[in-house]
Amino acid sequence: MTCERALEVQAYADGELDAVSALAVEQHLETCAECRVLHDGIVEMRAALKRDARYYRPAAAFAQRIRSGIAHEDRTAPRRATFGSRSFWTGAAGGVAATALAASLALFVMLPSAQDQLANDVASAHVRSLLGAHLIDVASSNHHVVKPWFAGRTDFSPPVGDYAEQGFPLVGGRLDYVDGRRAAVLVYRHGAHVVNVFVWKDDGSLSAREKDVSGYHILSWKEGGLFFCAVSDMESSELRDLSGLIQKNASG
Amino acid sequence: MAYAGLGLVYPWDNSRLTIAMDEQRRRFEQLVLPHLGAAYNLARWLGGRDGEDVAQDAMLRAFRAFDGFRGGDAKAWLLAIVRNCHYTAVGRTRKTVPLPEQGENDIASDAPDPEVSAIDADRARKLNQAIASLPDEFRETLVLREMEDMSYREIAEITGAPIGTVMSRLARARALLRERWAAETKEAAP
Repeated sequence: MTCERALEVQAYADGELDAVSALAVEQHLETCAECRVLHDGIVEMRAALKRDARYYRPAAAFAQRIRSGIAHEDRTAPRRATFGSRSFWTGAAGGVAATALAASLALFVMLPSAQDQLANDVASAHVRSLLGAHLIDVASSNHHVVKPWFAGRTDFSPPVGDYAEQGFPLVGGRLDYVDGRRAAVLVYRHGAHVVNVFVWKDDGSLSAREKDVSGYHILSWKEGGLFFCAVSDMESSELRDLSGLIQKNASG
Repeated sequence: MAYAGLGLVYPWDNSRLTIAMDEQRRRFEQLVLPHLGAAYNLARWLGGRDGEDVAQDAMLRAFRAFDGFRGGDAKAWLLAIVRNCHYTAVGRTRKTVPLPEQGENDIASDAPDPEVSAIDADRARKLNQAIASLPDEFRETLVLREMEDMSYREIAEITGAPIGTVMSRLARARALLRERWAAETKEAAP
């Protein structure tokens, strides 16, 4: 017969429990001989595996083959731009990094009021989303996919719509942390531009407005108890168009 | 000014593709290549000698699919690809890995050390035999947990199984391993 807490004991041995649950298991181990045997068995087996189990390691030639395979892959993959050597592009990438750094510094040195603080935070979250790999958590142009994705992760439900017909296809969604708040972010594309629309529950502390930070346009508004903040490098008139579509969707 | 920076992440903007690709390769070398050893180990434990081809295939696939990698743990991401490549290669046939013959030189980092006593070598051989005899789903779970230090959640992601299933497979794998290991050891006892 197996103790009903066996899996818990295993999880304890695997370091998967939080401190409180771990403590509870430790207490259980004091009274349950069967679980003690199980626990010690796992620990003993782990030591044996560490000592004796084969860990296959690739020969140097194998690693080399992979590297050259990748290099080959890289060369044969479609590339449009043909001018310039690698060093040119490395230089260009360096320039990009420097520009990004400059942009973030520009954001940093502004002296913020609460509202400015928000604009800065939103703009840097936008830059961050574009520079890092973290633009979207859920990639889908289907609002039936994106909306339920948010359901388990936020305590509000942002209006999710795809406006591909109007030139703003939905790319996906993600969660972000802006100005001390957890925000749902809807990501849209417009031509070569990315738009991040941050949404959170309106707490009345901020008012709707338009603002420019370091070349990014930021437009915020309130609708149905939610606070929206859209940011992009596209024309502010285009940003207003998207805002209009979202507001129409939210109220309609 | 800041617009130039956006080229890195706009896959739909072809004129900036090249910068994006060099950046991509650099990131791949930084994030994924360090886990080559783990990929190789898992591939060998899943597929025996054929694992070497699987590992190579998986690395190239990973490179091609890298622009779809949205952060998270690169090791878990890579191992999931290795596992998929393995099951594609074997056509999901259920079999246990044949143990490599003795003396194959890439089988172990701590391969034949003359100092190691015959008893130690024998004990190790039996343990490895017991691991190899485990059914696929138990063996892969055990390898991911005990050799690759993957968390339950990561194992769930890699194998596409719910966490509850990972936990019960792991328990089963350990029980079976213990049983077979004990049997092996007993057989040899005088």
